[in-house]
Parts: sequence; structure tokens; C-alpha cells
Amino acid sequence: MTPVLQTEGLGKRYGRHTALADCTLNIPPGRIVGLVGPNGAGKSTLLGLTCGLIAPTTGTIKVLGNKPAASAAQLAKVGFVAQDTPVYTNLSIADHLQMGARLNPGWDHELANGRIRQLGLDPHHKAGQLSGGQRAQLALTIAAAKRPQLLIFDEPVAALDPLARRAFLQNLMEVVVEINTSIILSSHLLSDLERVADYLVLLAGGRVQLAGEVDELLATHYRLTGARGELDSLPDEIEVVTAEHTPRQSTLLVHTNVPVPHTISGAEHIDLEDMVLAYMTQASNHAAGLPDQRVPAKASESNR
Amino acid sequence: MIWLTWRQFRAQALITLSVLAVFALYLILLGLSIRDFHSSQIVGCQGSACEAATRRFESDYKTQLTLVSSLLIGIPAIIGAFWGAPLITRELEAGTHRLVWNQSITRVRWLAPKAAVIAATSLVVTGLFSLLLTWAASPYDQVMGSRFTKLIFDSRNLAPLGYALFGLALGVTFGLLLRRTLPAMALTLVVFAVAQIVMPYVVRPHLVPPRTTSVAVNALSLPRVGSFLLESPPGATGELTNSTTLRVEDYAMPGALVLTSGSKILTAAGKPAVTNKQVSACLEPAQATLSESGACLAKQHLHFDVTYQPASRYWTFQWFETAVFTVLGSLLFGFCLWRIPRLA
Repeated sequence: MTPVLQTEGLGKRYGRHTALADCTLNIPPGRIVGLVGPNGAGKSTLLGLTCGLIAPTTGTIKVLGNKPAASAAQLAKVGFVAQDTPVYTNLSIADHLQMGARLNPGWDHELANGRIRQLGLDPHHKAGQLSGGQRAQLALTIAAAKRPQLLIFDEPVAALDPLARRAFLQNLMEVVVEINTSIILSSHLLSDLERVADYLVLLAGGRVQLAGEVDELLATHYRLTGARGELDSLPDEIEVVTAEHTPRQSTLLVHTNVPVPHTISGAEHIDLEDMVLAYMTQASNHAAGLPDQRVPAKASESNR
Repeated sequence: MIWLTWRQFRAQALITLSVLAVFALYLILLGLSIRDFHSSQIVGCQGSACEAATRRFESDYKTQLTLVSSLLIGIPAIIGAFWGAPLITRELEAGTHRLVWNQSITRVRWLAPKAAVIAATSLVVTGLFSLLLTWAASPYDQVMGSRFTKLIFDSRNLAPLGYALFGLALGVTFGLLLRRTLPAMALTLVVFAVAQIVMPYVVRPHLVPPRTTSVAVNALSLPRVGSFLLESPPGATGELTNSTTLRVEDYAMPGALVLTSGSKILTAAGKPAVTNKQVSACLEPAQATLSESGACLAKQHLHFDVTYQPASRYWTFQWFETAVFTVLGSLLFGFCLWRIPRLA
């Protein structure tokens, strides 16, 4: 199966500012990918590169096996809902559907009209008068009704209140079931994506910090707690992400593809939130020039 | 795409068209009034009554026609600034390019029909106004023999079409390069104005090598000069002496484009004519009209040289100027189509 997104050393620079660097990913089809990272991590850049709105400065990118936005056929395969869900404010909802129908050969009238009806929106309403939640729903409908193989959402719920956020995500899941497509969703909050994503990509400082199937990530990360010094020498297969030390106790967050040896007691699985937090801490320490905590040394005393 | 273009452009176009409809109505009324004056007072007039009627014809309509001509020259600039510049920038500023560029249509296939629809509308609007103004002013232009002169030449017949295409292309191109509406509008107006100055003053006079002819000073030619001047050497008392020379400025040749702004009056031997006794005698009666002075001076065999583009070249120049701006406009559109997929 062709991967939905395959990048190799992908990078984007704006003048002297590096928005994304050395990004290598290989995301299999059929996933709901959560792209998480703090503001300015490069999420929008990566998504812009994926749909072809942005051209890379370095590296290669293939989306569903082809160069993004290279042809009308490729554009038809990828649906994109940009940040702040732009719509034509002086065109009505019906006009937007008409536009979608005219510009997309694979347009699904039934799906589009059905969703608008289900949402209880008046087709004659001007898009400029819609609430943020309604606008996001309209943008989702337009992107879904072209029946893409990959649907991309850039921070779709960032501007929505909790109720609209939930309604949007619910609607999104219905669409996924209906059109059977791969999805990439970005957010600066893991909590937005935790419930829907089955594949996670964590970006920070313009670099990929973590990428993989959620189940696999959960199965291969542990928190190790032990007396100070007890955890200083770990087997090579165990990779330390973060380490916190108090005078008496050490807490390590580790990644390993092999089971934790029995000699180490107090190993427990962690949830996604702790894992993301750990990698983000690692990234920011790295950016701040602090020692890499993969090397378990006494010197890597946490500064908190 | 044509549907979407029209849907987005509709409100804008209707507002513009309703304003232009008023302008069109005015042009029709002006044309009727000019025709009325022409048929009742100019056609079949005799002698000095004819001269007086022509003078009145000019004074009644010159200002209006000059204003309307300037307005028509301004239409392509307005089209460029208000329809051309926002064509891409409006999408970039509202972020809607991220919506429309992700439909199953490449950016080239998005821009080309959009630009084509608006270019066609611009050509129709400009062409219609050029036609109306050419019709309205034709009796006047004919009587004054002025259709080759600046301002009139580029607001009649074909020339406005080239300008319309060029103005629009400038607007779209600057929008694409600057990505912001207001700077793009401003730059479009500035560059278009520069083109409107460079073309008539620098390029048009020299498109084809001009002709030079020698015009005899007589009752026919002298009334056609804008001004007839006596030039005394520095320090002269103002009396007519043997060292005072004669000069004509702004000589008008019916239907031609005169390039000489002023020239000295020469004797048959090619020397500058001076106000000797015979010449002074012709100028002496202060109330003498130019045609009376001209008739008197005819016996002195004086002449002046004029460089000009003959009236017969009018249509060559019209086609040429239209072609130049059509090509420039097309090149700019071509550049935009090449550039738009590379915008990132």
C-alpha cells in the first residue's frame, strides 16, 4: 500500500528562519494521524507542504505516492481545511457547494447536501455570517465531499469553544466512516486529538520528536522509578527520554522495544500526555543547549 | 471556474457598470448635442460666419471633450487598480486561496479563466466607451482636424483596448508580486500613468520616421498657428527693428500629428525673416486678423518648417499602439501564469 505521507529530509526555510528541518516520516494509509506540537513547531508548514500550498526548500515529499499539488488528479486526492477555515464571506453556503461541485470531478452531492441538512444550516446563509463552529463544519463538508483519499485539517478546533469542538470532532469521525479516508489533524493540544488519533507525530522546534502508531508508542514507553543511583546503568536497548532526580529518588521516562528487565522494579506504562510532555521537555532542553538526557549521568540533573 | 469568477466578481461589476451607465448616458446626450450644433451651424456655413461658428463649436465643447477623453484614458487605469490588483491579493489577504487552491483544479487553471473573464469584461466596457466617445466627438474631431493629437488619439477607436488589457495585466501582475492590495493598486496607477506619458511624448512621435514640410506663410496657414510671435534680441527696446525675428508655435495640420512645437519664419533664401519695412507694414494695423496679416505676408514668400506624421498614418498608428499594449499585457499575463504555481 502506498504510504499517505512519505518525506525524506524535508525542510522549509523562510529567509534565515527554519520552519521545518530534517523531517523524515512514513505514514501508512488508513490512519487518523494526530500532529501535535507547540505553537510555532512547524505543524502548519508540514501540512502546507503536504497539500502543496508550500514548496520545500530541502528534501523530498510524496503524498499518496506523488508530488503534492502537481496535477488536478493529485489535488482531487487530497482535501485540505486550512487554519481558521477560510471561506468566501460574501458567498452563501449553497454557492460554496456549487463551487465544490464545479471544481471537483468526484464531488459527492448527496454527502454535501446531506451534511448541510444534518447540521441544520440554511443554504442561503452567507458564509460570512456563520459562527466559527459552523464555518469549520462548512469547510469540512467541502473538503469531504470531493471524496479525497487523504483529508488534512490544520488546527480545525483551535478557535472553537468546547461544545463546537466536540461537535466538530464527532462530525469528523462520521465523515471518516462515511468516506473511508486517511486523516491528518493538527493541534497544539494533545487532548483535542487523543480520543481520535491512532497515529501520532510530535513536532517541536521544527523537528519531528516522535512518530508512530499510538498503541505501539504506549507499549514501548515506561516510567522507571528507583532509588537515586539505582537506575544509572541501564541496558543499551533502553533509551532515556527524560530524567528527574531528587536527592533520594530518580524517575526516568524511557523508550524501549524490548521488555524491561525484571531486575528493574517499578516500571509502569505511561499515558500519551506524559509521553508527549516528556518529548517536548527533551526538545526544549535540547534547544536550550542543556545536556542530552539520553545519557543517564548524574550531571543531567533536572533543572526543575 | 467561469461560474465562480462571475459569482465573485458580480457585485463589483454591477456597481461599476451602473456608474458607467450614467457616463454612457452622458456621452449619448453630448454626442446628440454636438451633432445638433454641427448640422445647424457648421454644415453649409459661409465665410466669416463659418470661422465664428467653428470658434464657438470649439469653446462650447473643448473642455467637456477634454475631460471625457481624460476619463476614458483613466478607465483602463481604474480597471487595473480595482479589478486587476485585487484579483489575487484579495484571496491571499482573506486566506481563501487556501480553500480554492485545494479544489481539484491547478492554479493555472484557476487563474487563466479568472483573468480571461475579467479581461473580456474590461475590453467590452472600454470598447463600448471608446465607440461612444468616438461617435459623440466625431463631428468635432473632424472639424478641428485633431484626432491625431495627444489625449484624443488614445481615447478614440482602437487604442483604448490595448490600454485596457495592459492596465488589467499590470494590476494582476503587481498583485501577484506584492501580494497586498493597496500597494499593488498604487503601483498599478503609477506605472500606468508613466506608460500614458511615455507613449505619446517619447514613443509615438517616432514610430515611423516623420516627414518635414515647408509651409508658406499666407492667409490660409497663419490662422492655424497657436501663436505668432515677434522675437527681439536681448536689450532691444521693444520697437520693431531689423533685428526682430518672427516665430510661430503650435501649428495645426488638419488630421496630422505635428511634432514641431515652434519654428522660426524663414525667407525664401532660408534666412530668418526680420521685421523689415514690408513685413512691418503687414503687422502694423493692430486690429489686423491673422488671415489678413497672412494674406499681406504672402507676397514676401516667407515659410516655416514643420515636422509631422501625416494624417494618412492615423490607422497605422492606432493599430500599432493597440498591438504594443496588447503584446505587453499578454506578456504580463503569461508571466503571471508561469509564476502562480511557484507561489509558496
